[in-house]
Amino acid sequence: MAWYGNYYPAFRIRPPNDAHVLCVNLRLNIGTMRIEKDMKLADVIHHDFNLVPVINRFGIHLGFGDGTIEQICKEHKVNVAFFLIIINVYHDPQYFPKKHLQSFPVGSLVAYLHNAHEYYLEQKIPEIKKLIVKLTEESGDKHKNNFKLAFNFFEEYEHELTAHIDREETSVYPYVVELEKVIESGTAPDKVLARMQSYSITDYEDEHENVEEKLYDLKNLIIKYLPSVKNDAISYNILLELFDLEKDLREHARIEDMILVPKVEAMEITIKKMN
Amino acid sequence: MAGKITIVLIDHSYLVRSGMENLLREFPEVSLTEVFDGSEKHLVEKTMSLKPDFIIINPKSIKDSLNSFVLSLGNDALLIGLVDEHTPPVIRSRFKHILTITDNKYDLLNNMHKLMGTNSKDKSGKHENHSLSERETTVLKHITQGMTNQEIAEKLFLSVHTVTTHRKNITKKLGIKTVSGLTVYALLNKIIDMGEVNQQ
Repeated sequence: MAWYGNYYPAFRIRPPNDAHVLCVNLRLNIGTMRIEKDMKLADVIHHDFNLVPVINRFGIHLGFGDGTIEQICKEHKVNVAFFLIIINVYHDPQYFPKKHLQSFPVGSLVAYLHNAHEYYLEQKIPEIKKLIVKLTEESGDKHKNNFKLAFNFFEEYEHELTAHIDREETSVYPYVVELEKVIESGTAPDKVLARMQSYSITDYEDEHENVEEKLYDLKNLIIKYLPSVKNDAISYNILLELFDLEKDLREHARIEDMILVPKVEAMEITIKKMN
Repeated sequence: MAGKITIVLIDHSYLVRSGMENLLREFPEVSLTEVFDGSEKHLVEKTMSLKPDFIIINPKSIKDSLNSFVLSLGNDALLIGLVDEHTPPVIRSRFKHILTITDNKYDLLNNMHKLMGTNSKDKSGKHENHSLSERETTVLKHITQGMTNQEIAEKLFLSVHTVTTHRKNITKKLGIKTVSGLTVYALLNKIIDMGEVNQQ
């Protein structure tokens, strides 16, 4: 895959006089701060309001008051170390937590990932579908069928994403939680050992397919190929949602690949040594 | 990851090397394969064995003749000269591309960005017409009918390799990767009609 065309279209297609926009984006990236526990959560949200859906997944909602991250996490019985990792991963694409920071229960990680899945399937996807329906209605009879194509295409994407998530929820996560229980109890039942032999988390890494391609296609269909409508407001909203979902899924996959998988690999090794 | 742009950096100054490393971090698709300070033995061989897409090199960091160094690197990699405002034109002219270390950050980033776009692997030209050729349109049609590369190759009397190349070019031109995305495109542009899709 050529590096420019597909993943970073903005870097390439932009006209020359648009150069300053690129620079502004880069400057923001460079100036990313590390979010720490003694910062006020309100200040953090002012700095990066895209984190609102992320804190929601910890059961923390707007109207959380004036406390520091540590205080608010305590109030909501959230593991502070884990909260900071997740929020920094989302805030700064370059961030990768150091090993010593990763001492939190796997259970909280799985719970977090589950809540994120719910957010995708129950909020984001329906919202985007609603917007595409609205766009179809506004498009006039002549183009209705064309927008229906886009809708069907997105539904297909929804099925793929749902299947992917189902597999994680019904096979990967229960396995992970079970491993942690085994380590706590100190003895490994044969059942678990057998399962470890037939399925290791390393396989999961391999099967972690890229469900993002369709999102990418849909963005281009809207930007380049679907017929123009009088007012771009709805299409703009769809694009905002698509970019947002895409970014969220990317960080989600990063958390799974860079935090969940290594942690589980370590647990697998511990259990093998127990016997 | 395939498609990563690999770079070898040669500069004798630690500060410049770290600065370049920092700058290149702004390009997610770039990987800095190796950094040399110029004093290494067999520098040419070491550099060539890495097969980089670009070599960023400070002419002052080369102890021996710059000319022979440049010549022995051949044409495979794109040389980028790391120069300052005092570098004489005769040295500058040895390089296809120039980065001026005294430039401000945004000029550096923009120049770098332009250079990345001239990556030798992608000579296919960013300015070329993005509409599909007749052949590509035919291939697209068959893709949307659910045919595999093998089947398309047989049908059109082409090698599988050629079909794969067509496919890559279609995706690059249209910015659409998935078969169903391509199908939507083909329908929107009346390359196929609804009836053909429903037959499957």
